[in-house]
Amino acid sequence: MAMNYNAKEEADGHPGGVGAVAGGSGVAPGGVGAGKSRKPDNTAFKQQRLPAWQPILTAGTVLPAFFIIGLIFIPIGIGIFVTSNNIREYEIDYTGTDSASPCNKCLNVSWNSTPPCTCTINFTLDHPFESNVFMYYGLSNFYQNHRRYVKSRDDSQLNGDNSSLHYPSKECEPYRTSEDKPIAPCGAIANSMFNDTLELYRIDGEETRTPIHLNKKGIAWWTDKNVKFRNPTGDTNNLTALFHGTTKPINWPKPVYMLDSEPDNNGFINEDFIVWMRTAALPTFRKLYRLIEKKDNLQPALAAGNYSLEIAYNYPVHSFDGRKRMILSTISWMGGKNPFLGIAYITVGSICFFLGVVLLIIHHKY
Amino acid sequence: HREPPPGAEAYIPQRYPDNRIVSSKYTFWNFVPKNLFEQFRRIANFYFLIIFLVQLIIDTPTSPITSGLPLFFVITVTAIKQGYEDWLRHKADNAMNRCPVHFIQHGKLVRKQSRKLRVGDIVMVKEDETFPCDLIFLSSSRTDGTCFVTTASLDGESSQKTHHAVQDTKAFHNEQDIDTLHATIECEQPQPDLYKFVGRINVYHDRNEPVVRPLGSENLLLRGATLKNTEKIFGVAIYTGMETKMALNYQAKSQKRSAVEKSMNVYLIVYLCILISKALINTALKYVWQSELFSDQPWYNQKTESERKRNVFITAFTDFLAFMVLFNYIIPVSMYVTVEMQKFLEIGEGPLVNTSYLNEELGQVEYVFTDKTGTLTENNMEFIECCIEGHVYIPHVICNGQILHDCAGIDMIDSSPGGSGKEREELFFRALCLCHTVQVKEDDNLDGLKKAHPSGRSCLYISSSPDEVALVEGIQRLGYTYLRLKDNFMEILNRENVIERFELLETLHFDSVRRRMSVIVRSAKGEIFLFCKGADSSIFPRVAEGKIDQIRARVERNAVEGLRTLCVAYKKFTSKEYSSVQKHLQDARLALQDREKKLAEVYEQVERELILLGATAVEDRLQEKAADTIESLQKAGIKVWVLTGDKMETAAATCYACKLFRRNTQILELTTKKIEEQSLHDVLFDLSKTVLRHSGSLTRDTFSGLEIQDSDPGSNWTSEQWNVVYLGVCRVALADRPIVKLIKLSKEHPITLAIGDGANDVSMILEAHVGIGIIGKEGRQAARNSDYAIPKFKHLKKMLLVHGHFYYVRISELVQYFFYKNVCFIFPQFLYQFFCGFSQQTLYDTAYLTLYNISFTSLPILLYSLMEQHVSADILKRDPSLYRDVAKNALLRWHVFIYWTFLGVFDAVVFFFGAYFLFDNTTVTSNGQMFGNWTFGTLVFTVLVFTVTLKLALDTRYWTWINHFVIWGSLLFYILFSLLWGGIIWPFLNYQKMYYVFMQMLSSGPAWLGIILLITVSLLPDVLKKVLCRQLWPTETERTQNTSRHFRDHISEFTPLASLKSPRYRSNGCNSSTARRSNPHSKKMLFTHCRGNDYSILPSLFGYSNKHCNSSAGYRYSGSGLETSV
Repeated sequence: MAMNYNAKEEADGHPGGVGAVAGGSGVAPGGVGAGKSRKPDNTAFKQQRLPAWQPILTAGTVLPAFFIIGLIFIPIGIGIFVTSNNIREYEIDYTGTDSASPCNKCLNVSWNSTPPCTCTINFTLDHPFESNVFMYYGLSNFYQNHRRYVKSRDDSQLNGDNSSLHYPSKECEPYRTSEDKPIAPCGAIANSMFNDTLELYRIDGEETRTPIHLNKKGIAWWTDKNVKFRNPTGDTNNLTALFHGTTKPINWPKPVYMLDSEPDNNGFINEDFIVWMRTAALPTFRKLYRLIEKKDNLQPALAAGNYSLEIAYNYPVHSFDGRKRMILSTISWMGGKNPFLGIAYITVGSICFFLGVVLLIIHHKY
Repeated sequence: HREPPPGAEAYIPQRYPDNRIVSSKYTFWNFVPKNLFEQFRRIANFYFLIIFLVQLIIDTPTSPITSGLPLFFVITVTAIKQGYEDWLRHKADNAMNRCPVHFIQHGKLVRKQSRKLRVGDIVMVKEDETFPCDLIFLSSSRTDGTCFVTTASLDGESSQKTHHAVQDTKAFHNEQDIDTLHATIECEQPQPDLYKFVGRINVYHDRNEPVVRPLGSENLLLRGATLKNTEKIFGVAIYTGMETKMALNYQAKSQKRSAVEKSMNVYLIVYLCILISKALINTALKYVWQSELFSDQPWYNQKTESERKRNVFITAFTDFLAFMVLFNYIIPVSMYVTVEMQKFLEIGEGPLVNTSYLNEELGQVEYVFTDKTGTLTENNMEFIECCIEGHVYIPHVICNGQILHDCAGIDMIDSSPGGSGKEREELFFRALCLCHTVQVKEDDNLDGLKKAHPSGRSCLYISSSPDEVALVEGIQRLGYTYLRLKDNFMEILNRENVIERFELLETLHFDSVRRRMSVIVRSAKGEIFLFCKGADSSIFPRVAEGKIDQIRARVERNAVEGLRTLCVAYKKFTSKEYSSVQKHLQDARLALQDREKKLAEVYEQVERELILLGATAVEDRLQEKAADTIESLQKAGIKVWVLTGDKMETAAATCYACKLFRRNTQILELTTKKIEEQSLHDVLFDLSKTVLRHSGSLTRDTFSGLEIQDSDPGSNWTSEQWNVVYLGVCRVALADRPIVKLIKLSKEHPITLAIGDGANDVSMILEAHVGIGIIGKEGRQAARNSDYAIPKFKHLKKMLLVHGHFYYVRISELVQYFFYKNVCFIFPQFLYQFFCGFSQQTLYDTAYLTLYNISFTSLPILLYSLMEQHVSADILKRDPSLYRDVAKNALLRWHVFIYWTFLGVFDAVVFFFGAYFLFDNTTVTSNGQMFGNWTFGTLVFTVLVFTVTLKLALDTRYWTWINHFVIWGSLLFYILFSLLWGGIIWPFLNYQKMYYVFMQMLSSGPAWLGIILLITVSLLPDVLKKVLCRQLWPTETERTQNTSRHFRDHISEFTPLASLKSPRYRSNGCNSSTARRSNPHSKKMLFTHCRGNDYSILPSLFGYSNKHCNSSAGYRYSGSGLETSV
């Protein structure tokens, strides 16, 4: 009798709920049954009696997590940091704002000065660049991410669409047509393509300048080069004919089908062009320019010594207070030199570890 | 009907509507504009529309599709749904309007469509048909001119009601007769009250002076009601079509808004301000930055001709709008949709919900106003005793030894007092037999003789008041049986088995102001009696003679016991007196204006100088677990006020019984008698002063008895003093509503809840923030007007402590989370403006912008808001004090809101600058190639989606497989979508900016490392805050969570106990008989038994729980199973 009564009091709200607890599987009884007169849908979902796992964030459970994070992050951070430090990087600012700079004479070039203003900067590498070297050009204070700039392109045209070739998108304004002819490639991005030419020479002894082979292929994303950017198609393979009826971008000295002599690097699929068309995220950016591949395993890609950088200075940046740089860098599995990630990992790992210790103290004291 | 004969009063022609019911909202033509208009009145849709229009008009960073597409989708779906519902309504209306109705035309029966019915037409309705419009009942096939009607479809009451035909027309039994009837009907303008009707009928007999008869609601047959147990009736249509009471009742109730919604709106305004200031700051900075021409228009990025020519103010304004569009997602518009969906999906669980907007309000209640009868008590009356001139009579059925010792030394029924006492005794019994409105349910087999069922109680007598049934049944046990009312004669069977017949002359109905009722009857001998019964307070002042003191003493004694007492008195009329009374009554009843007031005056006059006969006591049992419920509510910090019309002693006794008062409760009595001018405000102020004076004393519990006639609520009343007052019990006649209003309007604006079961509680239910109706014996009026309807008072406990708590926790998390995730979403865009020349360049791709709130992060929070149970329902129920943790909108206070917002800002800063430094002027791929701005945005977005989802995962305490599915599923969906979105060249898009961006990002090791790092860093502070708060300043809820975890971890070891209990649950679940009064001993036994059992677990339990929590919590948990046994 007594047990009956007790059981009844208990059972009232959650019929059958306690049976589930008895299973000990962390199941929560959450009976939401209404009165006996009305029974709602009796599905487990409606009754909110699904088996559930109920984790709670307590010091006890979080402590190991903190220690584990600390123990994992710190080694990773050290690894990244060391890797980053092993990367060789050499940077030359060749804008020429400094009057002593050899390029100072070119500071106020215009787009189509012929012949191009050239300048030469000599530099010395103290340490050899062992593995493949990547040559970048860098621009500062250049807002490739300005909204007006970013949208000023026609992806259909770049993808080889013939109608877009002749009728570019309105987004390209004011670089859409020139002299009543559609511009190919249209838009501000294409129009402002970087057109300095950088050449690298190794100086052995007094006057022997050995040109260093700069590979211009493989600098763009494979998918961009092979899928996203396509030359227009037609009856011929002659790009000049295919681009007939269009005109070059205003600032370009040559039309797009004369960017390169090699047919698989000409027109829209020119890699320098593709690289430029991928707008940078921030106003200070660098873009891959050339690859310097290692000739064999014995020699470094760039041995220590004197080099000279010969620049055909075409690209004006002084008007908007920009800077131009040339960067030589080796690459590891994690890309270029960037101490941030390593330091961040070490810091976060240490903080976690420290917090773990603090929590441990709190956990035991309170 | 038709034209009034000459000489009738001036007949003002009036345009009556036809009998078409139009419940549909739209017609074919106005659907599109009207529906659009209604949809755009909703703030979310309107906001979207504005953004969409801005995007269309000016050059904005995001395409109009981003807001147009979701808007179009929502609008279309809603329109289709509403259109379909309206089409169904049209169909139903048509079916209703076309259904055939029998008319009488020129003495012939004609079938016509219902919509052709006009006011004044005579209609014939057959059994089980519904009435086509509101009818005045003219005659029925039953000879006594009554018919039975069920109004289940109108107010949910399934019991049959008797309606009476007009006296002078009930003889017209067939079509020809009825056609000869000449009469005019005057009635009030249509009004929605189903239970009120005032009118009169003039019947013209052969050019004589018309006979005037009053018409009341008993003559009115309402549209929608169904005729039962009557072959056919005739009636004349008076209200048709949209003027019927049913149609008038379709009008929607005013919407109550919940406190959460209010905070939500306040937060929205804050965010709107943030949005506008963000846009302003950026616009201003943009123009500062652009002041140098080379920044505004460098050679590589020229403006078009038209852009250059534009006025600087116009461009500034468009820039401002463009920034607004860019940041518009910070206003969580999808929150409204989600909240609505959550509300929609939550329905069907638990109680009957009329207003689902208030679910979370259940978790915020501070004051509970409860009715006593039928709410706290069963409203299942048991006749206990009667006292005639000081002699106590107890029907022997009840005398089972339990109560007997209580009333030792009383006269039992056999020891009959002699002489005049005998006469009074018989008169008393007759009075009780006659003075009521009980109906006898006629059973065809029984032929009226109730003698066949000597012991049969219920189901024979039907009355709207259970007291009356209890009295009549009690008297039956004392020897007098009420047989029936036939042709205005009441038949009773007396002790000698002789049928006595009394002619029922008048019934002075009960009302809550007079608190008494009377009948005037003529006995077989021709004597005219007035029998009056009512509350002691309303009878004693009207008594001229009788043993008042003895009876009063007995009444008071009974009241202390918690019994409901009624006094009975009588008065003899001479026939002359009676005829004057009759005339007065008739006059008052025929009055069209102030009828009720006039009637009350007459009643007042008639019920005077009575002779007191005796008193009755009826027990109203406490509802099952009412005490437990009240105790829990008090533990939860809710102040419970019992508002009742009973005697103070009765009320106090009930309050003791249901543990509202403890033994050590100091009772402060404040009895203010009927001071009309004194406002309620003053009364309560007096009370609070009294309370303050006594507040230094031992107890917090205070009792106050108020006797209030009527008053206005004071407005600027402060409730500070009331914190001392634990509860008040007020003796209220009509003042439920002012009291509720008073508390509601007091300075702290506490959330009030009113619960009641009867029509008299409706005003209170409507006034309170949350109104709860009990589907009880007093009809469904309360339930119909309530926001929630529950079957028993005890369900209130679960509703507030469990459901209310859950709903509140869920909705507040939902609101905060929505703001948080949109800050996380938009703040990086804001930061990005500083690095892109304030050009409104978006950080994320259009698809991400559109889908972030719609699909990537919407489902987990929706599911959370449906499923979350941070503590199990059991524990919430067992430990009511947990309710205090969410009281006073605790989870939506400003500091919580600011915490979430700052967390959002922090996370956004981490996302953005993490990505910034990761991509800072370097390459992150192993092939030296560079990433562009879209990769940057995608990285930020990936971290964002993961962080925001995992943050919710950290907050989720209740992981079912659905939670796992939805949370991990959303993340997986995001990844799959990104792969697909970047995977192919989309032919219909004119840009391919996302092509292979996501995949390229995933091919980079540092991007992975960066994503992991940034997610960790973003979640770290929240985890830390949670852990530290739990460890150092745990809330009650968190303590319980800790405890319950330990408890649950080890409960499997006690399987003997668990298995012992569990099989009995089902078998006993439906056994609801708990006679609280009668078996105290068995309960005691239970207690000790359980104790023994419990001690066996406790030591082992302590062993586990001592480590982390104080042992009292552990004890509370394990001991809570016994909570009601003391």
